[in-house]
Amino acid sequence: MTTFGSMDVSSIQTGLTNKEFSAREVAEASLARVEASDEKVHAFLEITRDLALRAADRVDAAVASGNLLAAGPLAGVPVAFKDNMNLEGTHTTCSSRMLENYVSPYTATCVARIIDAGGIPLGKTNMDEFAFGSSTETSAFGCTSNPWDLGRVPGGSSGGSAAAVAAGQCTISLGSDTGGSIRQPASFCGVVGIKPTYGTVSRYGVVAFGSSLDQVGPFARNVRDAALAMNALAGRDVLDCTSQDVTTDFLANLGEGVKGMRIGVVREFMEAEGLQPEVKAKVAEAIAKLEEMGAEIVEVELPNAHAAISAYYVLGPCEAFSNLARFDSVRYGYCDPGHKDLGGQYEASRSKGFGAEARRRIMLGSYLLSSGVYDKYYYPAQQVRTLITKDYTEAFEKVSCIIAPAAPRTAFKFGEISEPAEMYLSDMYTISINIAGNGGMSMPIGLGAETGMPVGTQLIAPPFKDENMLRVAAALESVYGAAPVAPAFADGKLGE
Amino acid sequence: MKKLEEVLKDWEAVIGLEVHAELTTLNTKMFCGCKLEFGADPNTHTCPVCLGLPGALPVPNKAAIESIVLAGLATNCDIEKHSMFYRKNYMYPDMAKNFQTTQGPVAFCMRGHLDLDVDGKAANERIDLGGIAVGDSGEAGSTAENVTVTEDGYVAHVGIERIHMEEDAGKMIHVGGGEGRIAGATHSLVDYNRAGTPLIELVTQPDLRTPEEARLFMQKLRQIYLAIGISDCSMEEGSLRCDGNVSLRRRGQKGLGTKTELKNMNSFKNLHDGLAYEICRQAEVLEEGGIIYQETRHWDPSKKRTIVMRVKETADDYRLFPEPDLAPYDLSDEWIEGVRAKLPELPDQKAKRFAADFGLSSYDARHLVDHRETAKFFEDCMAQGATAKLAKPLANLVINDLYAYLNANDVSLDECPFTPARAVELVKLLAEDAISSKQGKEVFAAVMEEGKDPSAIVEERGMKQVSDTGAIEAVVDAVIAANPDEVASYKGGNTKIIGFFVGQCMKEMKGQGNPKLINQTLAKKLNS
Amino acid sequence: MTQHVTESDVRGIAEYARIGLNDDEVAQMTVDLNNVIDTLKPITEYDLEGVEPTFHPIGDLSNVMREDVEVEGFSQEVALSNAPKQQDGQFLIPSILGEGGDR
Repeated sequence: MTTFGSMDVSSIQTGLTNKEFSAREVAEASLARVEASDEKVHAFLEITRDLALRAADRVDAAVASGNLLAAGPLAGVPVAFKDNMNLEGTHTTCSSRMLENYVSPYTATCVARIIDAGGIPLGKTNMDEFAFGSSTETSAFGCTSNPWDLGRVPGGSSGGSAAAVAAGQCTISLGSDTGGSIRQPASFCGVVGIKPTYGTVSRYGVVAFGSSLDQVGPFARNVRDAALAMNALAGRDVLDCTSQDVTTDFLANLGEGVKGMRIGVVREFMEAEGLQPEVKAKVAEAIAKLEEMGAEIVEVELPNAHAAISAYYVLGPCEAFSNLARFDSVRYGYCDPGHKDLGGQYEASRSKGFGAEARRRIMLGSYLLSSGVYDKYYYPAQQVRTLITKDYTEAFEKVSCIIAPAAPRTAFKFGEISEPAEMYLSDMYTISINIAGNGGMSMPIGLGAETGMPVGTQLIAPPFKDENMLRVAAALESVYGAAPVAPAFADGKLGE
Repeated sequence: MKKLEEVLKDWEAVIGLEVHAELTTLNTKMFCGCKLEFGADPNTHTCPVCLGLPGALPVPNKAAIESIVLAGLATNCDIEKHSMFYRKNYMYPDMAKNFQTTQGPVAFCMRGHLDLDVDGKAANERIDLGGIAVGDSGEAGSTAENVTVTEDGYVAHVGIERIHMEEDAGKMIHVGGGEGRIAGATHSLVDYNRAGTPLIELVTQPDLRTPEEARLFMQKLRQIYLAIGISDCSMEEGSLRCDGNVSLRRRGQKGLGTKTELKNMNSFKNLHDGLAYEICRQAEVLEEGGIIYQETRHWDPSKKRTIVMRVKETADDYRLFPEPDLAPYDLSDEWIEGVRAKLPELPDQKAKRFAADFGLSSYDARHLVDHRETAKFFEDCMAQGATAKLAKPLANLVINDLYAYLNANDVSLDECPFTPARAVELVKLLAEDAISSKQGKEVFAAVMEEGKDPSAIVEERGMKQVSDTGAIEAVVDAVIAANPDEVASYKGGNTKIIGFFVGQCMKEMKGQGNPKLINQTLAKKLNS
Repeated sequence: MTQHVTESDVRGIAEYARIGLNDDEVAQMTVDLNNVIDTLKPITEYDLEGVEPTFHPIGDLSNVMREDVEVEGFSQEVALSNAPKQQDGQFLIPSILGEGGDR
């Protein structure tokens, strides 16, 4: 059986146009493969069979009319969505007991745009509960395995979406990134993952974690596919006040190369204590390759980036505390039975419905916003945000892209990190970009010498210049090649 | 418990109001496109946003922002160009997101004021100004704190701290307790149709001193909101709601006492009576050496008392922070001026114009504009060609008879057959002495009942007032001749008995004699 | 490690956040919160005199609004489709005051 999810957009669309196979075959085969392979990966929480077939039929109608792309630029491409994205008629659980039985009565804009572009929705993917985590271990519905080593985590919080693409279950998936939740799992799973500039993609219908930090973006195994998804996703949505009128063609400069381009390197990032040697070596190698290709490597400084994690663990929990207040057992969500008073129902439902990490973040946010404490942490954190943003602005006066590690290490083993504060360091390279709001992406650059696990490098662009990082990514891809499907899942294998 | 006027001799009440108005004249809610409609089936006007579904995001209604700026301009506020929405976090089931989107330290409208004309009986409660004798004892133009004394009362200058934009909560029905009350209820039902209704909250400075002033403030604010068309201002349906903060201090003292917050004052009368009760209650507690607790109290109009709803042990900590999902505001001068251009004539301006154009007293002019309907009716009358001489009687007809009728019968002007043309006709008949004022009342009632013109009613009922001096003299002569004893009594000094003669003449003339002429003729004849 | 919050504070925070915690959970939560709050220290060590806060990232957005035009919403059935408990077209909740409740 053909594993369509292992194919890129271009080969699927060529096959469809040449009538080598139909979109319905793509859908049926992909669904079957997800079911078979997911016993090992556990990337999916729900399979959306009916929606997939309906989307496929629309594509087949377009093929029959002689114009595949009438069904959209992603016509016939198997896709998956992180389970914090609403898709009408399907569950949106956020990997939480709280929403175990919740069925969405509406569809998120990002989901609608991918489906309108012709994507075939296979299902919803696993994640850290409410996106609180960096390993997908906080999911209430079991861990997702890293397709490169089933004993290791896929990263998180968008671990299911990253793993699904790495395992060749689908061609493109969507994740959301609040502090690194697309870039870190992309790095761990060896795929391309983009966190666009805040405001590029509508957040409407994506269950909020940190409203001023969240941004939706795609996973793919090559830069072109990711850019195609970005073209479908980007742009103003009247339902999200913070979305902006982005009209960039993300495909436009992929072939331009990096000759003459000024690319920044941050010394503190490369010399940070927690950076694993195998990651450091690969990122240094990638920097050297870019220089070989004619890029000018320039050292830039981000003097306030070290405070980003602290600012993030103030702002994120504060916004999350408020965003998660709506889960109260009244309109939807887990309702603990048998309570005669609302207070008791509230407390039991929220205590049992939320997992440990969600409870911790809610508690932390509630504390940080309380009077007296607000002035000590929240307000200064927003001031520090100004300083971090200024650092990036000044750096981008010198360079048009910055290269850095995406994560300090390769994927770790299940249970290896249990201390919350230690887990939070997984996002040390990604968080400052969410604080400032500009775009960042993770690009696979081969395997670490020590663990043999994928390593990603992070490319960081100025606000609304995300095409700059895609251009550098395409150049790196010309050296490293497109990301392969994890070996255990290549050529139709099922994780053996 | 002592009466209010007794209490106010020793104590000064310090009152501030928080007035919520729903922007009912808009089509849609504050942050989503759901229809605004009172009384629809429960949960039929909802969407992801106003149900607080996971992932939903708010988008502000431009017309609501225009409305609040209009309200600010109409109440002499400064319009803040830079402001933001905030989240006020607390869990309550009628609030779908469990935070209320509201404004922070800077609201769209800041630092406004309204001047209240307090006159007649309404001025009585102001003991410090001499109460009812204010016109006599107070010198016009003299000022006490925030007050300017006028000829027939005083003007109270009431500061407005701010008007901010927020959203209303859903509606709850409490089941299983008594009379739908929350206490004793076994469960409650929630309807989110109202959730997200655009709501503006006006907060006054604690500048009010009497329940009457509080009532007048609310009435004036209501007139203004109605004039600018931002709300239907129905206190009954809850689109205009008022909470009061009350504290007492001994007369002559400057500091503030502990205040209580009063809720459920859903009519002007309840606002007045609730505050009056609370003032008396606090005075009693304080005079007995007790202390006032900072608490929220509920006015129960049927039992005529306030009861504790909630004791505030500590200040509420709502964990306010700027709403990240909404962009901040940066209003341009041009935009604000665009809103200002939409300001209609406000009640104060209208009253001034009525006084100037039609020669009305400022008292009459003010009371004419008390109600938009009747003010417009009066203007229509004047436009029907009524002369300036008719303005005063027309004003009286509108203020006294017409408004009283509408109120008593609970009808609106366009439902009743009393048109401006008929009003002018009636006033003309009265001015020409064609009918007596008593007949005037009868004609007014008949127009309302039968929907005919006043002249037709006068004709049908043969009500023409007899002002023919010859006819009147004949009747007077006959009555004097028929009652010699009474004539003797009158001449003996009992001049009061003239009323008897007037009555007899009127009886003779079947009530159609011109009473003024009868009086004059009688006096002339009896004194000769 | 600095004691930023006590167990009693944690109980208060939990009550406000409406999260039921038993004694063991309160103890663990107190440890966890203190650990995390410790890592926030850099924020408190900054000299931020005169630095404006950035409440909304990627600035310049302002006055984003929609026209006052009705958009079709949910039917009553859809609105209530995820309700844990309902009655007569409304969401049903147990007694708000409960026994000894303060609101």
